Amino acid sequence: MNRFQQLVRWTYPRWVILMGIILAIGVMTFPIPQITDPQTRYITLDARQFEFAPHRIHINKGDRVIINFTASDVVHGFYLDGYGIQARVEPGVTKQIEFSAERTGKFRYRCSVSCGSLHPFMIGELVVGPNEPFWRAIALVIIGLFTLLTYRFLTKGTSYEYPTLGASPA
Amino acid sequence: MKRELVTIFIVVFILVGLPVGVFLYQRQQSNPDSAERAIHIQAAVPESGGFQPAAIQVNAGETVTLRFSSVDVTHGIAIGPSLGIDLGHVDPGHVKEVTVTFDKAGTYTFYCNTWCSPDHWRMRGIVEVTDPNNPDAIPTAYRDPIIERLVAEGVNIDANVNMGMADHPQGDTLTFEQPPSIEKGQILAATLSIPVELEDAEWRLSHTPMEGLELLTDQNPSTPMNDLIHVIAYLWVLDTPSEDIQWAENYYNKNCAACHGQTGDGNGPAADQTAESPVAFGDAAYMFGMRSDVLYAKIRRGGMGTDMPNFGTLLTPEETLKLVGYLWQLAWQSRAG
Repeated sequence: MNRFQQLVRWTYPRWVILMGIILAIGVMTFPIPQITDPQTRYITLDARQFEFAPHRIHINKGDRVIINFTASDVVHGFYLDGYGIQARVEPGVTKQIEFSAERTGKFRYRCSVSCGSLHPFMIGELVVGPNEPFWRAIALVIIGLFTLLTYRFLTKGTSYEYPTLGASPA
Repeated sequence: MKRELVTIFIVVFILVGLPVGVFLYQRQQSNPDSAERAIHIQAAVPESGGFQPAAIQVNAGETVTLRFSSVDVTHGIAIGPSLGIDLGHVDPGHVKEVTVTFDKAGTYTFYCNTWCSPDHWRMRGIVEVTDPNNPDAIPTAYRDPIIERLVAEGVNIDANVNMGMADHPQGDTLTFEQPPSIEKGQILAATLSIPVELEDAEWRLSHTPMEGLELLTDQNPSTPMNDLIHVIAYLWVLDTPSEDIQWAENYYNKNCAACHGQTGDGNGPAADQTAESPVAFGDAAYMFGMRSDVLYAKIRRGGMGTDMPNFGTLLTPEETLKLVGYLWQLAWQSRAG
């Protein structure tokens, strides 16, 4: 067995790992194209004690968001984390909130005017997709799992010396 | 021994000093030495007590500072009539204050002008201003000429009927193919011959647009009905200048929109809580059978059993008329929208 054959033999199961690393780098740097075109979203958001309706809003990055904000019982507020948008609405008078969703992720909106005993729990979620890091993380996990399983499959049967603890076998 | 004494001194200092300090701070806040009195009024939803205190006695000419705070939800504070005080929202944990000199003896009302609970419209308190020279004087009741005229005429103010619609030959067939437009009406009014009655603001106050339309049709039989409706729409908002409309819109949004709806669709967020469904001012067909003076009387007296509160103790007659002017504006606007 010459040196080259030895190298090939040593490398054989490990090329899977190499492939995995290359794929992972590819996934991390791959530019994900805009899934949908930016559009204008008209959202009717109603606040009542102690909930928002809807309590979850899905939009895409780049969308122009126009929220028609109403209150059903008492004065409520709207504060959007991450965007720092603040509004106050009184029952009967519709308030319009306009902004562009330039940041992706999951942002909480909460009532910003003390409206009663459960006011601190009056929270909703604005999900601005596509959430790239999330998809990249999923791809990374899949690639990692696939690589490990393949490597395990290829090295199956080859003896592996588990290190023994303590005294050496007799 | 010395240490023990010091400890006792510190404990006594805290036990005595803290209450005394708080007491002095409050005394200083309420400023008893100056002529001005500060009154702290706590606002809560009517279900848990409303205003505390709900009645304040003040001498005429006295200057008082009224401090408002809220214990539950956001309230809006205004004082009327004729004072024109609107403190805006009072959030829980915040204090808003106003310093007023009550010159004239009489009764003033402070009230919540932001929908705060199903019983929001009960949330009122009074300031009784007595004349120190004549403390037992009973204030003379204000006689409202417009309402007295309605009573003399035998109009049932509480009736929710369409006046004039029934006895008009075209009442049922009157359709609004085009929304009544004030702008078009203004242009058309110059080209038509307007009956003398319609030129008279007093006449318009006590007659329905339908009656006006009848007179206008008699004078201009060849003009299409839709054009005449535009002219009527223009004539009925003629007396309310735009700054009054702005004031009235603001007042309407704060005090009326929760039930009657911001656009006058009668479908505000609290509309389903009232005993009778709120009137839709945006309904031009309904408004064509309505009279300004009846609207005025309804606003001032409220509606018995309908949950429409009375605004007579909150608004001056002039302010009420501005509000009526805005209702006509709503009637014509909403058709367009």
